[in-house]
Amino acid sequence: MTETPVIRLEGISKFFGSVRANHDISLELNRGRVVALLGENGAGKSTLMSILAGQLQPDQGVIYHHGEPVIFTSTEQAIVAGIGMVYQHFKLVEAMTVAENVYLGQSPTAWLKSREMTRVVNELAESYGMQVRPEALISDLSMGEKQQVEILKLLLRQSSILIFDEPTAVLTPHEAYNLFATMRRMRAAGKAIVFISHKLEEVMAIADDIAILKRGEVIDIMPADRVGSTAELAERMVGREVLLQVERQSVEPRQLVLTVENLQDDFLHDIDLEVRQGEILGLIGVAGNGQKPLVQTICGLRRPRSGTITLLGLEWERFFSRHRWDKSLSYIPEERQGLATCRGLDLLENFLLTTRSGFTVGPWLPRGEAGLKAQRLVEEFDIRPPDLNNLAWQLSGGNLQKLVLAREFHRKPRLIVAEQPTQGLDIAAAEDVWNLLLKAREQAGILLVTGDLNEALALSDRLAVMFGGRILATFAGGDRDMVERIPQMMAGLTQEEMT
Amino acid sequence: MNYEILIPLLAAAVQSGTPILYATLGEIFTERTGILNLGVEGIMIVGALSGFLVAKITGNPAVAFFAAGLAGAVAASLHGIVCIIFQGNQVVSGLALTILGVGFANYIGAAYVGQAAPGFDPLPIPLLSQIPGLGPIFFRQDLLVYLTYLIPPLMWLFLYQTRYGLSLRAAGENPAAAIAAGVNVVACRFVGVLVGGFFIGLGGAYLSLAYTHLWTNNLTGGRGWIAVALVIFAFWRPSRAIFGAYLFGGVMALQLRLQASGTQIPSSLLLMLPYALTIGVLVLASWRRGGTDEPAALGRNIEPVD
Repeated sequence: MTETPVIRLEGISKFFGSVRANHDISLELNRGRVVALLGENGAGKSTLMSILAGQLQPDQGVIYHHGEPVIFTSTEQAIVAGIGMVYQHFKLVEAMTVAENVYLGQSPTAWLKSREMTRVVNELAESYGMQVRPEALISDLSMGEKQQVEILKLLLRQSSILIFDEPTAVLTPHEAYNLFATMRRMRAAGKAIVFISHKLEEVMAIADDIAILKRGEVIDIMPADRVGSTAELAERMVGREVLLQVERQSVEPRQLVLTVENLQDDFLHDIDLEVRQGEILGLIGVAGNGQKPLVQTICGLRRPRSGTITLLGLEWERFFSRHRWDKSLSYIPEERQGLATCRGLDLLENFLLTTRSGFTVGPWLPRGEAGLKAQRLVEEFDIRPPDLNNLAWQLSGGNLQKLVLAREFHRKPRLIVAEQPTQGLDIAAAEDVWNLLLKAREQAGILLVTGDLNEALALSDRLAVMFGGRILATFAGGDRDMVERIPQMMAGLTQEEMT
Repeated sequence: MNYEILIPLLAAAVQSGTPILYATLGEIFTERTGILNLGVEGIMIVGALSGFLVAKITGNPAVAFFAAGLAGAVAASLHGIVCIIFQGNQVVSGLALTILGVGFANYIGAAYVGQAAPGFDPLPIPLLSQIPGLGPIFFRQDLLVYLTYLIPPLMWLFLYQTRYGLSLRAAGENPAAAIAAGVNVVACRFVGVLVGGFFIGLGGAYLSLAYTHLWTNNLTGGRGWIAVALVIFAFWRPSRAIFGAYLFGGVMALQLRLQASGTQIPSSLLLMLPYALTIGVLVLASWRRGGTDEPAALGRNIEPVD
């Protein structure tokens, strides 16, 4: 590589107060190469990319753009320099069309020529293997399509450096496959790409260079072809052997804690399932196939229209008419911020959201006693930073999830409904969550809703596959024939369409 | 009700709807950029007073009308400074602006109560005014009414067919997305507040320069609040604002006529009609939320990038 790197970061450091987010980071981005940034939550990946995109200024260090030192004091300057970011949370105007979003802020003419806009967007999409209708409203699009619009925005302004911040976190496997195809075309077109991900297989599949960040520093950087396997990569990342296969001891299943019989509504068809204390039932499927309404119904957020649900021996209506804070149902929702926690409340208050009944004395809620308990849990679950006065939004996704788990396990639940419990978590955090769930299984029955096949296989005693609002099959985790057919079942009947 | 009564009533509806229409269009423009301005009533009355005073001093109604718009923009800029620069609460700031504007105008105008100033008189358009029915209703009005026929389509063209309109709307729908796309959201919102304030000021000036030709205390009489409600009724679309404004104008004109005809209904009840209709309209508009273009980030300040 004799060519000057498009971007060279040299000795970048960034502090937030006394917290060191980035320390002496050096990194090169080259034309036609994909650099993967790998690291745990809070390792400093997002900070580093925000510095590159002009949202933050480094405290130390220099950014070289085609060999020239540059300082980006605003996002506009980074945009002009050809740096484009596909954010994890899309920055799109829902009420506008695809073409309007793509042209927002970069129309060359004062008048919008809608025919011209449609044509250009179509051409761009086709040349990079994307399929999205320029006239469609953003609010009607799937997550994958929205991401394509974000990419189209960058392509239209001819960005030469593209940063993808955990782009596959919100995608179905098929959409992720398409995204990689698009990224390969971009690489062939000579763009420099940064790919941030937790998923090791994806990094191995797409990256040319892999940089591993830990506690704000680049601890390892290597060409992808020098990495033998995902296991080796995982080891380098966490610095110790990762148990991708968690250890499980079988627990004798006991009494029924959840039965669903013949549940029917607009999104659900003939759902039957049962969960016993001492087992994990893994409900696997691509998101959007009825898991959400099913979970909401089981957890009392939606009224079952027909069919019966029995929780801990009580019929749905009776179960939810009386509130019991402990030895009951714990719901660990997918939305850690929003459903599980209130972003503006501190950790103690969030802890008390579901556990308050355990601490009340008459009309009073003694914060001191609850604080002691919460502080112990924060230490036990290694929630960082370990300060109860922090607000929920100040925590990273992994730490917030640990707080939710700590809180819910404190309730000694008998039935746990866990929805995508490790989504967006790094391996170490995910492993913690898995071990916690396996341990909780001794006291509770667990319904684990997940789209991650590895997770389902590693944890579940029994598996159920959901597609199109139906449960296609339920079988034991050790049933190899059925396990092999899971991917086909997850894809439903679309197999013929895919070929 | 026969033809001789109906046509003048409809013509009066257009005339009394016009100041509300100016104010509604101004507020739509402001809200489209994401700023909720509840100071309409205050801005309107400041516009009304400024127009009246400038007309009295210069004797030139056209200059006075323009000056009223500028005064409206200046008044609205207070709201812009509070909400856009200092991240103040938009509801509180708007309410304060209304109280300030009304108090200010009544105080300064106290010396002029009952006095007259030159203004605009009806100016029938040749040919068009001869169309039976439509002619007397729409084309025997004054110049300022004709102006409002042009504003909604021009505003629509600007908002939907130009890149500036696209940026302004994006600032109101999703400021974060607009910033990410390199749009200067602060500038967009300031433009929204100032241009909106300009139109609202014009609405006030219509009252003192064309509707009455004189100054009285509380000249706007709650029309600014009606405009705020009409924005919701209009689903934030300039074209729908026309129907809403004329509907209210009609009720106001009808109420005056009923009073003049010596009806048995107490006048205080009649005076309530437009405001009762406002409540009715709001209930109706919230019923069918379906087709509304309400800006998603309306009333939410832009969070500063840390």
